[in-house]
Amino acid sequence: MPARRVYLDNSATTPVDPRVAAAMARAVVENFGNASSVHGFGQQARAAVDRARREVAALVGAKQNEIVFTSGGTEANNLAIRGLCEAAATHGRHIITSSIEHPSVAGVCASLEKRGWEITRLPVYKNGIVRVEDVAAAVRPETVMITIMSANNEIGTIQPIAEIGALVHERREAGQKFLWFHTDAVQAVGRLRLNVDELGCDLLTMSAHKLYAPKGIGALYVRRGVRLHGQNVGGHQERERRAGTENVPGIVAFGEAAKLAREEFNQRSAHDQALRDRFEKTIVERISDIVMNGDRERRLGHLSNISFRFIEGEGLLINLDLEGVAVSTGSACSSGTLEPSPVIRALGVDEELARGSIRFSFGKDNAEDEIEYVVEVLVRAVERLRALSPLTLV
Amino acid sequence: MVYSAKFKDHLAHPRNAGELSDANAVADETNPICGDRLRISLIVKDDRIEAVRYLAYGCPPTLVCGSVLTELISGKRVDEVKRLTRADLLGEIGGLPSRKHHAAALAIETLNSALQNL
Repeated sequence: MPARRVYLDNSATTPVDPRVAAAMARAVVENFGNASSVHGFGQQARAAVDRARREVAALVGAKQNEIVFTSGGTEANNLAIRGLCEAAATHGRHIITSSIEHPSVAGVCASLEKRGWEITRLPVYKNGIVRVEDVAAAVRPETVMITIMSANNEIGTIQPIAEIGALVHERREAGQKFLWFHTDAVQAVGRLRLNVDELGCDLLTMSAHKLYAPKGIGALYVRRGVRLHGQNVGGHQERERRAGTENVPGIVAFGEAAKLAREEFNQRSAHDQALRDRFEKTIVERISDIVMNGDRERRLGHLSNISFRFIEGEGLLINLDLEGVAVSTGSACSSGTLEPSPVIRALGVDEELARGSIRFSFGKDNAEDEIEYVVEVLVRAVERLRALSPLTLV
Repeated sequence: MVYSAKFKDHLAHPRNAGELSDANAVADETNPICGDRLRISLIVKDDRIEAVRYLAYGCPPTLVCGSVLTELISGKRVDEVKRLTRADLLGEIGGLPSRKHHAAALAIETLNSALQNL
């Protein structure tokens, strides 16, 4: 075990806030009733679920009855896309998405494609951002869904969601009534101020464990009036959109995390961005031959994605891990085949840069002196790996 | 599978890294599928590996296989070195996940190429 440990992988998951853990622990013991039961124990659990639902709804400016709790972001994305497309299939079988979606969106689209749906995957260009005019050009009479993430999980680029939402409304007013807009906001919730009415989306995906709550709980915002086919059937829970006994402790934890995210939004944002900016400034001064991936302005404030020339991301990741520093890379080498990050490749960068990309994501529990430590460790690791790299030979 | 202590040690402290300017056998091989690359330079004298250096680009097992291989062959007779197999190298490292065995294959292949260039 290294002497010091620094967690800079807050986009993968966040440490559980002790206040959230305490609320959850209380719910485990005190709200054990089945929230669907009519007796007092059940109603006590139901009340806890309702309180949490209000908090989660408030985080994105939604109404309480527009929130469907799920087991996490992946399930919410499956429910949103599959559920809506199954309900809307009689109106058309075309979906528009981007080329940098999370696998839980890209995978659902690919599976629908195998079943005969047409998928348009929009490019993101060098800055990692979808162009609204490309979305407009891709809409056809048979398009029933646009699904584009709010912010990317690897490079943090913020997509023009409100502009796409406005486009969808325009098309509806022009007569295309069966067109819906979903956004996977797992990375954006709690990092950006989001309001579903301002965004103009019909469906929005959230995950609690990116907000200092535990894994196993997420939610889908479903605008009132939007019809979905439930993907979990066999129960009346969540207004028949997600059958299964409610995970009351998880839901309570999500509610507490949502409340804290709203109350502490300004201080968390300022803190994370100050650390990220300081880190980037120092790295640029101390390490040559690096490329910052994605738009420099329109991106999440807590995340930095950097490609290091001449070296491979996984080697750097494990070198950092040996010194107690946790980061992530989008590339994976397995069974002799390499899968460079599809997101970095979508930016049009060469394979070497795509292989050498590392994501550093900061969080509320990181301290300034940790950044100094990470920089020292990183500088040493990059020097060591470059000294070993045949790519530095002329 | 968790990497062995030896694996981690070689990753953090690569042995015999670099190039030999007066090498009499050099090979530079690339795995055509994943792009991992290994370069070995040797000084072979009186049928013995007198000096060895390596450079590597790729996933951690590729970096470590290069480092461990250089220790394994340093000072050895050429006929002994020629008998080394991927399994010998994997055993020396303390094992690798099966999906990473290609790293050991690349190391042995590069070594054999270098010896053929003598």
